[in-house]
Amino acid sequence: MRALVLVFVFLCTVLAPAAATAQDPATLRREIEQLQKQLQSVTERLQRLEAQPPAPAPAPVAAPGAPGVAAPPPPSAIDLARPRQPYSLYQQRGSGQLLFDIGIAGDFVGNITQFNVQKAQGGTFSGQENRFFPREIELALLGQIDPYASAVVRFEAGQSGRDPETNVSLAEANFTLLALPYGTQAKFGQMRNRFGYTNEIHEHDLPWVDRPNVMRYFLGDEGLVENGVEMTLVPDLPFYVQALFGVFNGDNGTAFGAGTLRQPLYTGRLRTFFELGLEHGLQLGMSVAAGPTTESFPNTILGWEGRYKYRPDGWLHPLLTVTGEALYSLREFNVQTDTDGDGLIDSIRKVEKDRFGWYVGAEVQPSRRWAGGFRYDSTQYPQNPGYEWAIEPYVTFWPSEFLRFRLAWKHTDRTSRDGWNNNGGSARQVDEVLFQGSFILGAHPAHPF
Amino acid sequence: MRRTIGIGLVALAAIGSLLSTAAAADKIRVVATIPDLKALTEEVGGNLVEVESLARGTQNAHELEIRPSLMLKLRRADILIENGLELDSWADVAVEGANNPKIARGAPGRVDVSRGIQVLDVPSTRVDRSMGDVHPLGNPHYSLDPGMAPIITENIVEGLARFAPEQRATFEKNRQAFLARLDEAMARWTKAMEPLKGAKVVVYHPQWIYMLSRFGLTQAATLEDRPGIPASPAHLTRVIRQMKEERIKVIIVEPWNDVKLATRVADEAGAKAVVLASMVGGVKGADSYIAAIDHNVNALVMAMR
Repeated sequence: MRALVLVFVFLCTVLAPAAATAQDPATLRREIEQLQKQLQSVTERLQRLEAQPPAPAPAPVAAPGAPGVAAPPPPSAIDLARPRQPYSLYQQRGSGQLLFDIGIAGDFVGNITQFNVQKAQGGTFSGQENRFFPREIELALLGQIDPYASAVVRFEAGQSGRDPETNVSLAEANFTLLALPYGTQAKFGQMRNRFGYTNEIHEHDLPWVDRPNVMRYFLGDEGLVENGVEMTLVPDLPFYVQALFGVFNGDNGTAFGAGTLRQPLYTGRLRTFFELGLEHGLQLGMSVAAGPTTESFPNTILGWEGRYKYRPDGWLHPLLTVTGEALYSLREFNVQTDTDGDGLIDSIRKVEKDRFGWYVGAEVQPSRRWAGGFRYDSTQYPQNPGYEWAIEPYVTFWPSEFLRFRLAWKHTDRTSRDGWNNNGGSARQVDEVLFQGSFILGAHPAHPF
Repeated sequence: MRRTIGIGLVALAAIGSLLSTAAAADKIRVVATIPDLKALTEEVGGNLVEVESLARGTQNAHELEIRPSLMLKLRRADILIENGLELDSWADVAVEGANNPKIARGAPGRVDVSRGIQVLDVPSTRVDRSMGDVHPLGNPHYSLDPGMAPIITENIVEGLARFAPEQRATFEKNRQAFLARLDEAMARWTKAMEPLKGAKVVVYHPQWIYMLSRFGLTQAATLEDRPGIPASPAHLTRVIRQMKEERIKVIIVEPWNDVKLATRVADEAGAKAVVLASMVGGVKGADSYIAAIDHNVNALVMAMR
């Protein structure tokens, strides 16, 4: 016993000064003040709890949707006294939590159309006519990198053409600096460009089965997805304006394609919003993308967008949504001419072609589960002569907010068979039944307006 | 002449900038995600704060439409008060579009008032979406229980004091004054609800558990098949049968939910559907925190008579 006491005294003698010297007096004073504040706060809360009538035990929950859910026991005095951390960076999610979110979205589409259209590969999903296929299976990882930046990484898998092989690609990988001054932010990496309304939206989130025709013809099936940097500015004004400026490689082969920062693709966008009372909202925007093509000729695409929503007060969904976009392309080409018909090119001259296309869509959602609408497309072809129009009525059914089915019929009418008559087929007039099933697993950020 | 105009323009811009800075410096600009937190922040902050709410009382706070007008409110905010527990995780999208580093996640201006709340309905087993839109962190509707107000307001004081430490005493004084008024009201509510202790109610969406627990009532069933999943006819038939068997008199329905459906089910079961304020401003007259709880208690007592 005596030996134990001696050991204890020895340890106290050795360790006490070490502990005391580990912290300077100012730190200790701050800690003591902090503890005093906490003690005072806890004392007040205990007094308040003692003064209140005893709260009944949490009622048993018989909700069928919450199996295995149990109310925790009431707080003990030790629980109340335990210091809390009101400003920790992440919400508590138990042990082994990930510091980022994971989400998976699956999007399957199918279409039935005329055999002639299949031969000509002139359907909405070129090369996939009369097939059901996974268009986009997306794995998204998103979260905060640190207090100053967030990141998004998305991988996509899908089938292209009639090949049953599935291709996996990096759809997006970028990070956003959130702590920049003067209302600015910067996004670096590979991203879906904020050019117009639909370009930013992934396939499974589109309000229709397919991407609007003008977007596909002017920017390619995938839309504008580029590597570079986007800067945004939201000035402190009485109304909302977001200005965007971007510099990118210009890898998009449909519209640009130079793929070098020596001749970069520049993008810009101005977006504003008008809140028309509590129930109406109108977003308007203008975009521009300018860069060289693979032939090093300039291409400038101007875009205009508008989106209106009417959501009666207290409704869980909008009753009416109207969306429209228009693109205008000013592009230079080399035109080769065989004047004497001998099969040899006699002259090459540079011409500028101005092309225009637009779409407008309206959707009515009378109930939480059902919506119906249509989209009308009208567009010239960016390089070839002629134009086409299309009408696409559809219905959408949501069994829950994580699962969606859509059925559409699309009629397309083209001015000419030229360019749409591959393999002896013809896609001058196309009728298609389109169907879509989409699901979401895990995290999925809220959709902007 | 041109030089004079130039100097004049620069001077005007400078004066405008100074005036706007001075006006902005008057009050702490706070944005709360839901009206309950707006109301409580106004009680704590008094005339030192200017508070706006992103959601309105009549809206469903689970899934808010992210309008750019919300981003505009957040663009100027010094502090963002959020409910947490993933009720208002949509605020991240609005914050991202606001380009305001003061309220980015992890910044001192981001205040989560769920800290210290004894959360109910915390899943004790593995959860997945087959259970509906369950909240993995527990039921986030704690602000409907007036007994949680001391903790919520304590968190608000901490948040405001981080921005204006010299005003901590004022915030605490305001808080104590509010809590004193709340104590008086609590005594009134407890007395009014005393006869209802042990009674069973059906709710549309399972968001009333904190309030029901506070006053000793039991949630017997939900009209939603599972949280966030619209009711199927088979489920409604089961609920009606259960209400008849257990003589349940009331269905609590949120202003944003399908009141007609709740009324139909209540009629079938010989009960009443009563609309309670799921947030401040949810029903007429519920324009302050105490007024909202007042409405809820009175409406429940009247319906269960």
